[in-house]
Amino acid sequence: MIIGSQKPIEEIWEMVKDFRKVLVFGCNTCVAVCHAGGEKEAETIASLIRMRAQQEGKEMEVNHLGVMRHCEPEYFDPVMDEVKKYDLVLSTACGVGVNFLSDRTGNIPVYPGINTSFYGAVEAPGNFVELCAGCGNCILHMTGGICPIARCSKTLMNGPCGGTNNGKCEVSKDIDCAWFLIVERMKQLGTLEKLSEVIPPRNWSTSRDGGPRRVSLEHIRAYEEQEAQKAATAGGKK
Amino acid sequence: MAQEKIEGAPMPYRPYGAEIKETRPYSPCRAACPAHTDVQAYVGLIAQGRYHEAFEVITAPNPIASVCSMICHHPCEQSCRRCTIDEPLAVRHLKRFAIEKSLDYRRARRRLVQKTKGKSVGIIGSGPSGLTAARDLADFGYSVSIYERHPVLGGMLASAIPPYRLPREMLKEDIDDVIAKGIEVKTNCEIGKDVKIDELAKQHDAVLIAIGLSLSRSLPIPGVDGPGVLLAIPFLEDVAFGRKPCVGKKVLVIGGGNVAMDVARTARRLGVKDVSMVCLESAEEMPAWKWEVDEALEESIKINHRWGPKAVRREGDKVKGLEVVKVKAVFDASGRFNPSFDNDQTSLIEADTIIITIGQMSDVSFLKDSAVSLDERGRVKWDPATQMSSAKGVFVSGEVVTGPGSAIAAVANGHRAALAIHLYCQGEAIEGKLPAQEKEKIEQMPPEVVEKIAKEPRLEIKHLAPEVRCDSMVHFEIGYDEEEALKEAGRCRGCGGGAVVDQKKCMACLTCMRICPYGAPVVTSVSEIRPEYCQACGLCAPECPAEAISMVSYDVREIRRTLPQTVGRIEPNRQEPVIAAFMCTHHVGVLGFDLPKNVRTIPVHCTSRIDVLDLLKAIEAGADAVAVVRCGDGTCKYRDVARRVDARVKRGQELLKMLGFDPGRIEILSAASGNGGNPYAAVCANFSERIKQMGLRGTK
Ligand SMILES: Cc1cc2nc3c(=O)[nH]c(=O)nc-3n(C[C@H](O)[C@H](O)[C@H](O)COP(=O)(O)OP(=O)(O)OC[C@H]3O[C@@H](n4cnc5c(N)ncnc54)[C@H](O)[C@@H]3O)c2cc1C
Ligand code: SF4
Ligand code: SF4
Ligand code: SF4
Repeated sequence: MIIGSQKPIEEIWEMVKDFRKVLVFGCNTCVAVCHAGGEKEAETIASLIRMRAQQEGKEMEVNHLGVMRHCEPEYFDPVMDEVKKYDLVLSTACGVGVNFLSDRTGNIPVYPGINTSFYGAVEAPGNFVELCAGCGNCILHMTGGICPIARCSKTLMNGPCGGTNNGKCEVSKDIDCAWFLIVERMKQLGTLEKLSEVIPPRNWSTSRDGGPRRVSLEHIRAYEEQEAQKAATAGGKK
Repeated sequence: MAQEKIEGAPMPYRPYGAEIKETRPYSPCRAACPAHTDVQAYVGLIAQGRYHEAFEVITAPNPIASVCSMICHHPCEQSCRRCTIDEPLAVRHLKRFAIEKSLDYRRARRRLVQKTKGKSVGIIGSGPSGLTAARDLADFGYSVSIYERHPVLGGMLASAIPPYRLPREMLKEDIDDVIAKGIEVKTNCEIGKDVKIDELAKQHDAVLIAIGLSLSRSLPIPGVDGPGVLLAIPFLEDVAFGRKPCVGKKVLVIGGGNVAMDVARTARRLGVKDVSMVCLESAEEMPAWKWEVDEALEESIKINHRWGPKAVRREGDKVKGLEVVKVKAVFDASGRFNPSFDNDQTSLIEADTIIITIGQMSDVSFLKDSAVSLDERGRVKWDPATQMSSAKGVFVSGEVVTGPGSAIAAVANGHRAALAIHLYCQGEAIEGKLPAQEKEKIEQMPPEVVEKIAKEPRLEIKHLAPEVRCDSMVHFEIGYDEEEALKEAGRCRGCGGGAVVDQKKCMACLTCMRICPYGAPVVTSVSEIRPEYCQACGLCAPECPAEAISMVSYDVREIRRTLPQTVGRIEPNRQEPVIAAFMCTHHVGVLGFDLPKNVRTIPVHCTSRIDVLDLLKAIEAGADAVAVVRCGDGTCKYRDVARRVDARVKRGQELLKMLGFDPGRIEILSAASGNGGNPYAAVCANFSERIKQMGLRGTK
């Protein structure tokens, strides 16, 4: 799941202060689970902006709205007419949602109300941790199910480094050394000897550095395209 | 199954959440009430000091609510879910309290109803059933006439139930509410004698026979006929209408039911010191309510169990006593009432007056030779699915057809009859349209929940001491004062008023499941909150990040909308800070409401329901500060509330700080309640002072 966290109100204010009608638009999936940008938080941010505007003596109309997800158009399509009544949409969805919506609002800008932080798990209520970096080429079977890319401060592929210290990372004593965890876990699994194989240099082109990534499922696309074609030849418009 | 909406049906008062409640299982108290009074709703309103709204909820299904607050056998209490924890809620006493608090309100709200239907209905009998039908039909817009053979309205409530249990002023208020709608009343008018039933049927578009059971049954034993042997109903009628019945010094009442209790206890109040009873049943088998028996025993009434009447013994004209025979068994092998006797064991119970109280029957002699047929046992033939007799347009309701029961059951049946009459008058089919009596209800509390709830004994009301109360017909129960009522109302677990999930919004984040102290939510693809577990504490709703949870009763959204009005106008030249105080209405209570004027109170069912957003919105509305006023430690009836609310207040403070406010503008205030004075006024005044130091917003 995507974890995000709210931006400080001052930063938000700087973004929104020159607009008259602002919609704080929440997403009720991942960022709601981490209490950053669901409908409830959107409402809270809206209230904070109104108060800030009051302090500045600015006339501003600030409302809020929420839909289930911002990363699929069907979810926000039904409210698009409403959304388009505003001068600015402050989205509290993750960055995916901000991008995605921004492509569909014409002249109306979509700004981010939260910082999209990482892919994480809910370790305990209110505690979210990063466990995967979305590198596009998973090696967890070789590292005891613990991701060195996301969890090693230096993204080492063959660790630990000399900075490991009683299971903690030299970067901070609050960070577990991922390679220490890997070794311990593989000991437990009886697969420690696998680590003696050197992991060859990785091809990072599957990760962030090769331009935006796309997954295209041929079997689903093929059908969709056929349908689109049918509609087109029937004189229909999509 | 949801009931089909009937066109033109009057709209009774609906508390917040009433619509959604209809789609969910009823609280057991409500399901048990024959009229389905929403006990949970009104008890909760009482707990918040909202007495007039409580009154509306109480009277919406029940036109004789004052009466019921005195004499109802309260099946709601018998089925209260609190029974599994300690003792049932004192629902009837709370009802009385709310009604007493609403006397001026109710008188002021009496209104004539426009007669829009252009049709008329004649109602024979003014007992609970007839009165209910009269009220409903007037509300529907019909012209209604009531025909009553007695000089006053009320049926058995006026003519039989002794005044020491039912003060007539209470009955009068109920009747006045109904009559004020514009109902024609014909008292001293006996149908069959003064007007013939067929004539009546011609005068009206429909007729309702609601004549109850007005004849006492007698016993076919030697010696019954003659002076000194009385029947229950005439005896009680004499007392009710201020005619002194002729009783001796030693009264024996035959019978073991509730009416027998009334007769015996009434005899005591006529100055008879020696009153005894004789009944077939053992103490455990007696049909009378246990509390009635206990109160009778307190009044030194003796009960002879397991004796059957054999003959009235007389000396000349005078009654000497009752010869009785020992009962072997009251019920036969299949559990049916079929007493058997041991004829070798007999005895004489001495008495100079005997009152027979073994049941009632209806007087339907006036129906002979009319279009209304009687069955082979002389009872009115009727169809329970339509409430109609064999004569078209002539309906029946109440005890005349249902047999003996309670006043509130007669009310429930009166509602059905009124609806049937309305459908009939509109030319619609009746069958299948009358509401089902049985309602789905919330299960009893699971043991793992019961053990999490603190025991809190029921607050019993006081009675006049037996020595005092037997001297007169004065009402013997002493109602709650406000403090007692609030305390008792606070015991209610709010069954059915708890959390519901909007499944279109829930995204299965598990927050509610993690938070609930009682394990009520189960989250699979969406959350489902199990009503039998939910204690309606309200903790989960403000935490749901998708705003998917609302509370059926007393949801904060009810107050959120009006928050700006509640905070009110902010004077730019004010001297005192405007403080928005969210107040827990339990414990802190309505009693603490006497607060400085600059404190604008926002009563909440429990501080658990307040959201960070509510705190912010109060500031947004212009308040100089926000107080969350809650009870002192250990008095909250829910679990985990304090620490969750602490966390929310802390978050609110952080957000305020981000805006450059002093975070101290949001604070939790609490005080130990119950130690006299007004501790909440003191803490609020103190807080005001601190805010003054911080400065008033927008002033110099
Ligand atoms: C002594 C006693 C104590 C009771 N205590 C309780 C109690 O504590 N709690 C409780 O819930 N219930 C109690 N009940 C039961 C309750 O009173 C009845 O359930 C209720 O009154 C039945 O209502 P009803 O409308 O069917 O008939 P009723 O109340 O009997 O009303 C019928 C009316 O019709 C009138 N009538 C009859 N024939 C004619 C005619 N031909 N023309 C014109 N008018 C006519 C009668 O005068 C009467 O006023 C008690 C009953 C009795 C007798
Ligand atoms: S606790 Fe309250 S709501 Fe629940 S059954 Fe008892 S009276 Fe009704
Ligand atoms: S807290 Fe709200 S969104 Fe989360 S599971 Fe419960 S009802 Fe669903
Ligand atoms: S937290 Fe309270 S209101 Fe919510 S489900 Fe649990 S008991 Fe019910």
